[in-house]
Amino acid sequence: MADLVGVNGQRTDFRVVGKPNLPGKASMSLATGVAKFGIDYVLPGMLHAKFLRSPYANAKIISMDISRAKSIPGVVDIVTWEDPELKNLGGSPMGGPPSRPYLDNYADQDGMEVGCIVVAEDEDIAEDALRVILQDTQWEVYDAIVDPNKGRESNAPIVRQVRYTSFDMFSSVKPEDQKGNVNFATTVQGDVEEGFKQADHIIEYEVDLPAFCGHIPNPPSSVAWWTKEPYRDGEWLHVEGAVQRRDSVGRMYGVPDDRTIQEGIFQGGKYCDWGMRKSQEITPLLAKRSGRPVRCAQEREETFDFLMNERFIHMKIGFTNDGLITAIDDFSIADGGIQGNSSFGTANDQGYGPYYTTRCLNIRQQMEIVDTNTGKMYLSGQHCPFNWDTLTVGLHIIAEKLNKDVIDVAKLNLHGPDSQEDPRVVPSFEACIETGKKLMNWEWHKAGAKRLPDGRLHGAGFRYQICPRHAFSGYDCQLEYRGGKIHLPTQGPITGIFAVECNAMIIAEELNVEYDDVIVDYDWRNKFTPVGGGSDGTTASGWAMKECCAKLKKMILEQAVKEAENPPAGGMFSFGPPQPNPIKGYTIDELDIAPKPLAEPKPVPAPPGGMPGFGGPPGGFGGPPAPVNEPVVYVKADPSIFKALSGAVTETLVANFSGRPPAAIWSLGMGKMLDTMNTAYCEVAVDEETGVVEILRFGVVADPGKVIRPTSLESQIDQVMYFSQGCQLFEEFIYDDATGLRLNNNMIEYKKPTVMDVPRVDKHFEETRSGNAVYGASGVSHSMANTHLVICAIYNATGVWVQPPATPDKLLAALGKI
Amino acid sequence: MTITLNLNGNPTELDVKTNYTLQEALQFKLGLTGAKHMCNKGVCGSCTVIKDGRAVLSCQILAVECDGSTVETVEGIAAQPKWKPLLDAYCKWDAMQCGYCTPGFVVSAKALLDRNPTPTEDECKESLAGNICICGTYPRHAQAIMEAALAMNN
Repeated sequence: MADLVGVNGQRTDFRVVGKPNLPGKASMSLATGVAKFGIDYVLPGMLHAKFLRSPYANAKIISMDISRAKSIPGVVDIVTWEDPELKNLGGSPMGGPPSRPYLDNYADQDGMEVGCIVVAEDEDIAEDALRVILQDTQWEVYDAIVDPNKGRESNAPIVRQVRYTSFDMFSSVKPEDQKGNVNFATTVQGDVEEGFKQADHIIEYEVDLPAFCGHIPNPPSSVAWWTKEPYRDGEWLHVEGAVQRRDSVGRMYGVPDDRTIQEGIFQGGKYCDWGMRKSQEITPLLAKRSGRPVRCAQEREETFDFLMNERFIHMKIGFTNDGLITAIDDFSIADGGIQGNSSFGTANDQGYGPYYTTRCLNIRQQMEIVDTNTGKMYLSGQHCPFNWDTLTVGLHIIAEKLNKDVIDVAKLNLHGPDSQEDPRVVPSFEACIETGKKLMNWEWHKAGAKRLPDGRLHGAGFRYQICPRHAFSGYDCQLEYRGGKIHLPTQGPITGIFAVECNAMIIAEELNVEYDDVIVDYDWRNKFTPVGGGSDGTTASGWAMKECCAKLKKMILEQAVKEAENPPAGGMFSFGPPQPNPIKGYTIDELDIAPKPLAEPKPVPAPPGGMPGFGGPPGGFGGPPAPVNEPVVYVKADPSIFKALSGAVTETLVANFSGRPPAAIWSLGMGKMLDTMNTAYCEVAVDEETGVVEILRFGVVADPGKVIRPTSLESQIDQVMYFSQGCQLFEEFIYDDATGLRLNNNMIEYKKPTVMDVPRVDKHFEETRSGNAVYGASGVSHSMANTHLVICAIYNATGVWVQPPATPDKLLAALGKI
Repeated sequence: MTITLNLNGNPTELDVKTNYTLQEALQFKLGLTGAKHMCNKGVCGSCTVIKDGRAVLSCQILAVECDGSTVETVEGIAAQPKWKPLLDAYCKWDAMQCGYCTPGFVVSAKALLDRNPTPTEDECKESLAGNICICGTYPRHAQAIMEAALAMNN
């Protein structure tokens, strides 16, 4: 099963890879506050920009008078949507054509940038000017819809008063099929009706996928300025805060990549919310107009975009007396959000959802995607594929009905590695559940059948998921050898996944040097960026980097042989004949690199006319060589013959490799072929009197194929489980139905878990090495994040279903207590 | 308005707008980026500094309120060799992911160790209850703080 491809893919002994507690290369900068994010930059003479944001959920500006605002002292510039420079602002940093004007006079979400941008000497003046502009603006206000169920009704008002050509990278939805606020997506496999005829049991249930806000901690911001310098021809754009999209922002303004400067490397948290905000794109235009640096910073309140849109799913599943699923029918009403909303979470999910991991061949997915004024999901989410837990819930209901362990039901239905008709159990899954049961002391019980000693109800939940991405991006790697050190030139960015460090560990492993001998050189000019989406950036980039290491190692050894044969000329302070080179006369096949000497050095005979042998102090005249505390080139047959790497190779060497690992099995089959699997478990205690749910612990047994950097992998697992806890227990967007306004865009009323909330997460990693990337790694990607694992455990405790977030009032209502 | 701070051990005179928060004054007047602007509501702890010996949220304090105060930021903590074990432990245990909130945690941790050199895991958690890490690095902090405490006490 292993797919250990490329140079050293089959390596089994690891010295650096897999080692815990190797500090991140930029961690000290982060811990000490030295690291600067887009919002942190302050330049002399800097101006501040603020967008007008819509006070309405669905409205169009009829007129706007900016004259009063412009006369406020300190207001430098006001750019309206009618300004030709804004109208002509082209390009979408996500790579496609603009789907709507960069800024217009129509807002289909409250808080949306609309109408104008004010540039002022400071933020307070800009905000004063915006308040005046709001007073001097006339709006046509339309009905707003924030409930997709209402939006799909035939008499619902049409919410998109202005409709633009939609740019969507993935969706198969056809605009011509639109009816009212609704568009449609349907996929059918097999014969669903026939599947239901084969079933002994048919269940129907509802699953509400909660809307969930993005996790960006640092409010998106940028500072830009233009320079013309005597030693550089032409004009250069300097933008801080665009980070990974530096070049894309430059292209919006017709600036070539090599003239778009960005020194900052710290991106902050994105978690698949890769979409750029206008505050990160607009500053070059404003800086050009004003001739001064311009900063545009969002507030956290303006950064409550969706990581996941709401979706209401009616599920119907047919299954046999054994628990084998024969038909799946998913009817979803999905929040399509505002224009430009991502099709992840809507139609795009149908391509590779959870159902294709089952042996059931009769699957229908029908979806109504409803335009609303709720907000926007920029690209993708940590919960991809979003509807995974519709199946998780179904497996728990089947288990309850048949009085079978939910893990056994899952195992029965999961197909084998090759196709949906392969009845074998995926080895990775088998390994995960075996360990998982031990980790959790797993004993399945009927709903409501177990009480804890303190009287609370005990519940357990289980889910499995494939790694939905694996490694498939290509990477351009470069490595440099200089003076005994290996340099990794990269543009970063630092995003929190420690992908650069993973690459540094692979370099240390492959070149057989210490982690500290790998120097990371961050610079925006460097091509290599280990960011390709979650673990892809670690595992696929690691694969390409491993190949690059093989090239560099060969170059180092070749150069060592060459310099041994033809010593480079000594410097101005070298006297006498050159010292003998102990590795002279050996071929590259006879030599290798080690992180330090593997044996005591052999005395080297003095060359004719040279200084005598040992007798003096170490490293001194006539003495033995000084102790070597650096990598060495040594003779494999006799490690006592070696030379310090910095002395063995004095030339600078550069190796390049561009490529990607072979295609992942999962991506070839889009979920219909399975290799690496992950499992998660949850135990809860439910107090029936108060409705309070305590997560006793999460358990995660995942198979990342091969663990590269365990410390950050463990932390990533904590992260996704806490994301999952938040969306199932606390987090909820609250809207005013009458106005469509979102009421809790702040961190007080939209609650994220704190250290006092989070439970223990017990973890174990299987390393089946069945992934397609470096050393058989696949990564875990987003797959552990979930929307219903806790909900399933609550069901197992109480026998009632409650839709997330399972707040005490909802649970008490479900229990019939209020 | 001109205010005087004892900032990280140095007398510092600042000309600030009267509505500037301490966080804004540190960032815009002094270029100190350790106290991060995040929630601006006193909820997340990313802007934590130590004022007159107590951990406070610099987004909730006006700079003019601090006239005559002693203020310690993460930059000042990092400059003292005494606190190197704390920073080293944070790096060793990856008590950060994206790192935006990390300085706030470090300042809260330092404030804890100032008043309690040997904190338990629960005491670490309590002292960090006002710091939100959206990346979910929570279990790492207590680990780092307790290890640092051990190193510093030895």
